[in-house]
Amino acid sequence: MELWIGALVLGLIYSIMTIGVYISYKILDFADITVDGSFTLGAAVSAVLITLGVDPFTSLIFATLAGGLAGMLTGLIHTKMKVNGLLAGILVMIALYSINLHIMGRSNVPLLQQPNFMSFFLAFNPNLPEEIWLSICMLFVISAFACLTSLFFKTDLGLTLRATGDNSIMSSALGVNVDSIKIFGIALSNALVGLAGGAIAQYQGFADIGMGIGMVVNGLAAVIIGEALIKMPSIYAKISSAAIGSILFRFMIAFALFAGMNPIDLKLLTALFVLITIFISLSAGNKVRRKKFVLQKKRVIIGLVAVTAGAVAFVAVNQLFDMGSNKSPIPDGSRKRIGIVQVTSNGVLDITREALLKELEKIGYNTGNLEIIQKNANNDLANLNSIIDDFNTSKVDVIVTISTPATQAALSRAKNIPIVFATIANPFIIKAGTSDTEHLPNVTGTYGWAPMDKTMEFVTQILGDKFKIGIIWDVGQANAEFNVHNLKEELKKYPNIELFEANISSTTDIQQAAVSLISKGINAFVLPPDNTLYSALDAVLKASNNAKIPVFLNDVERLEDGALGSMGHDYTSSGQEAAHIVDRVLKGEKPANIPFFKYSKLTCGLNLNAAKYLGIKLDKEVVYKANYFVGTKKVQAKKKIGIVQFAMEPNVEICKEGLLNGLAGYGYKDGDNIEIIYKNANADFPMINAIMQDLIARDVDIIVPLSTPVVQSSVQQVGGRDNTSVVFTYIYDPYKIGAAKSSTDHLPNFTGVACFPPMKEMFDLIKEMYPEKKKVGVVWNSSEANSESVIKFIRGFVASKGMELIESTVTNPSEVLDASNALISKGAEIFLNAGDNTLNVAYDSFAKVAADNNIPLFSADAETIYNNTIATLGPDYYRTGFDGGVYLARILDGEKAAKIPIMQTKETLLYLNRDVAKRLNYKFANTLIKRASKIVIDSTLISPEKLSVNILKEISK
Amino acid sequence: MIEFKNFSKTFNPNTINEVKALININLTINEGEFVTIIGTNGSGKSTLLNAIAGTFVGDTGNVEIDKNDVTFLKEFQRADYLARVFQNPYSGTAPNMSIAENLHLSMLRGKKRLPLYNLRKSKKNKLSEIVKELEMQLEDRLDNIIGSLSGGQRQAITLLMSVINKPKVLLLDEHTAALDPKSASQIIKLTEKFIERDNLTSVMVTHSMQQALTLGNRTIMMYKGNIIEDISLNEKKRLTVDDLLDRFAELRKKEKLTDDMIKDFKNEYF
Repeated sequence: MELWIGALVLGLIYSIMTIGVYISYKILDFADITVDGSFTLGAAVSAVLITLGVDPFTSLIFATLAGGLAGMLTGLIHTKMKVNGLLAGILVMIALYSINLHIMGRSNVPLLQQPNFMSFFLAFNPNLPEEIWLSICMLFVISAFACLTSLFFKTDLGLTLRATGDNSIMSSALGVNVDSIKIFGIALSNALVGLAGGAIAQYQGFADIGMGIGMVVNGLAAVIIGEALIKMPSIYAKISSAAIGSILFRFMIAFALFAGMNPIDLKLLTALFVLITIFISLSAGNKVRRKKFVLQKKRVIIGLVAVTAGAVAFVAVNQLFDMGSNKSPIPDGSRKRIGIVQVTSNGVLDITREALLKELEKIGYNTGNLEIIQKNANNDLANLNSIIDDFNTSKVDVIVTISTPATQAALSRAKNIPIVFATIANPFIIKAGTSDTEHLPNVTGTYGWAPMDKTMEFVTQILGDKFKIGIIWDVGQANAEFNVHNLKEELKKYPNIELFEANISSTTDIQQAAVSLISKGINAFVLPPDNTLYSALDAVLKASNNAKIPVFLNDVERLEDGALGSMGHDYTSSGQEAAHIVDRVLKGEKPANIPFFKYSKLTCGLNLNAAKYLGIKLDKEVVYKANYFVGTKKVQAKKKIGIVQFAMEPNVEICKEGLLNGLAGYGYKDGDNIEIIYKNANADFPMINAIMQDLIARDVDIIVPLSTPVVQSSVQQVGGRDNTSVVFTYIYDPYKIGAAKSSTDHLPNFTGVACFPPMKEMFDLIKEMYPEKKKVGVVWNSSEANSESVIKFIRGFVASKGMELIESTVTNPSEVLDASNALISKGAEIFLNAGDNTLNVAYDSFAKVAADNNIPLFSADAETIYNNTIATLGPDYYRTGFDGGVYLARILDGEKAAKIPIMQTKETLLYLNRDVAKRLNYKFANTLIKRASKIVIDSTLISPEKLSVNILKEISK
Repeated sequence: MIEFKNFSKTFNPNTINEVKALININLTINEGEFVTIIGTNGSGKSTLLNAIAGTFVGDTGNVEIDKNDVTFLKEFQRADYLARVFQNPYSGTAPNMSIAENLHLSMLRGKKRLPLYNLRKSKKNKLSEIVKELEMQLEDRLDNIIGSLSGGQRQAITLLMSVINKPKVLLLDEHTAALDPKSASQIIKLTEKFIERDNLTSVMVTHSMQQALTLGNRTIMMYKGNIIEDISLNEKKRLTVDDLLDRFAELRKKEKLTDDMIKDFKNEYF
């Protein structure tokens, strides 16, 4: 029902514009394109005035005046400068684009919590549903309006206006100043268009720079439909026909949506609909031409019947195609329904939707328990309203809005249905809320703006900090404007970077904008997300390639087109997170209680081909930052690499991820120019040797042993072999097991990256957190080679730190509890897990003793952070893996392992546990929180930058 | 009532299409005079009419209407003084508006056109009376749109519209040329009737030498932008069509007109 009522109200409001178009097009015989601009002008004026506190009705008066002024300008240009009418309209329309932006100050003004003209009518609502009461009011208002307009055309001035449009020679001969009357007529027409624009802005809850696009065509279509159906000479009938045409036009769109039609076909349908009405009115008209001055009911009826028949046929065809795909055997009651709407199709939005759908499936939704209705407005903002109405009508359980305009439309039209938004830059600008937790009761979702800070870090890392950058952006794109603003703010940190910008208003401007920036001598393009720009990025890339200038983007998907680098959000995470929120809502949670989720997972991409072409040498640290690479090296033959791990554990997976990224960063990808064989010994020692032998039998060129036992086995099996190299990593100490004596003196076919636990840093951390505590207690297995080297290492420096190491040795896990208690009796003030495997197995006992005695527990193993441990400080395994991958690439490039020194990972990762700190009454220093990679809050790992202000206050000193 | 002083107009000056349409015209038309203008194609007769109407501004000289210098007034500004009937019956009326609306609009000549509703029932009754004078049974069809009328009826309405406010000057631009003979004679009769009734100062361009001689009280003959003959009422009474042709013969001697030109003239008028 809401769909049809909504279409009626929209049609009624739009009929003001249609009547305006009727005046210029039919009465004045003047094809006026100003409409596209004056509609937005009216919206802009009304919206801005309302935000300034002006009464909504007064704002509409100003919108009308502004529209009139725009029309007057077109009229003046046409009559006084003798410019062709079409051209005059185009000129003013184009000029208005800039003016509208100036008026709004940005490309989108939200009116969500602002007063509007509807509330005036709703105040008298006798308990009817809002939209129905509104439609009744609007029916009266528009009828009265149409009558008044008709009456005007019967007055002396109105007659003169009509006569001038009908026969300007006669008008002039009768003493009419044809020029003035034309100017007046065009002004009047655009005044009405401006009024409609203002009213629509209030109705839909925002003004947007793009909302006028295509208005003149919609208006004409409505005029033609109305005219074809109602052919009476009376001016009342003519003006009403324009209004009725407008309503029919909106019904047609509503119907198409209701029928589940592909929105791509909407414009085609519009054209067909207009053609059909004209055809029907013609064929029916021939027979009854003589009765021209009588209301031709027959023709109207035939027309309506035919249109309905056509529409029914359309639904039938649509249903036919849909058959089977959406049908579910489960009764509707137990099945939930969600409606997904996006404003248009583009990489980011599609990725979000796909991730959302996939994640929903993963959570356990299928066609049996969830009906998913997907809609796309194809960039037509008016259609968004109808789509939301359609969701209202079909009573979906959740509306998922992907993109900002879709969210805006839903916010103002679906007040009683939960809305989950995804992939919008900033929900606060559109008044969805004031903070992540304080927001509209039926709204929640995921958001995040392009990381311009990280982008500039990335760009300066590659290009230094003294150069000129060029940006291109469409002033009409709200998000682009916001991103550019953020970029400019960020650039304040870089005094030596000069910014040149070029504005565009359509894709056709891009090439020229790029060339103009290049001619200003820029050294790089930094292109923040902008729908217009990104839809025709090739224009920039072509120009930049010719000039050999690097391009940086915020959308990794577009990297392959030839940009050098990209720093953007991983929109998959936005879609996935949205899916979980949808799940929570479907399970009955109130959106009001679900905080907004700001996605922070970044995807950083590098195009190695572009770097090569541009002659840019990428620093290892730059490559380290990236996790997505385009381009691989050409090789003569694919080399085989065997990666062997001891067991499945989270840290080794992280290490492997780094390894593969290191390889990819230097141009090697599995299946492309190398072949990787993955092996896992599943913690079975004999298995390791078998794997090694298998790999040797397969003529593997490089073996990558991960963890100490595997490296040990490789030393025995392939140590000293000529045609097999070994790049080891994920090992504490390669020097104990015969692989090497020092970093440069190692087996000739061996090299790798060690990750000895950062014990000096650990003791510094303890000292920093507990300066008064000196006695650090450790439990370790004296037969474990790794532990031994760590403990020996600690013994070497502990006294110099003014601290004391209290040891308690064990031989198996069952002794850990006693050993821990022994530490207490020896007066240990701090417990430390230095990374002993035996201790790890019985870590619970160790942690329990610490907790029972209120002793802070530190650990070298990040995995133990949940377990009563206040802080963990360990090697950054991703970094270890990455450096290993880089070594691997060097050997693939032809370097000899013998010449590559063994590396020790210096990077560490610090994890903190708020829950433990709370129990110990400990407060973290702010600097410490900033250094931490993750903090455990209520048993969940959270990045420190995402902590809310309240939590920060609670946990810090 | 109308006075031209040294009035000249050249179209497309200094181009290959240059036309000296009017050359140093000095002409006075007195109040109540009914002047007919004849001449070949391109002689300047219509240009002279347009010069009065104000469709263009002259290159030199002045035009006065009713002692007012209107040289630089635009067409619509001169419309306060004068009314026009065009050759094309479609030019003088608004086809998609009713007879009553057209007549009402013509009555607004020289008045302010305000957004006031004045075309009421009483006004329509008045208009009905006026339309009766046409004797075309149009008085009952006041609400019909002009587009549904014949060419003759439309021209009659145009004529009525032009005299409805008793203009100071009535301009008739071959206003019967596009009509069938029956309608043409009907319109001529109406024209004579209205001019006589209101004693209108009138200027009529015609292609018919017979019309030129029988209608009005003064005839002007034009050739190549000049007034070559100005025949008074007394003279006209004596003249026949043959006499007029003789005058051309004389001219031929004086101005060395070629035989071709005379042939043109004959072709045009007979």
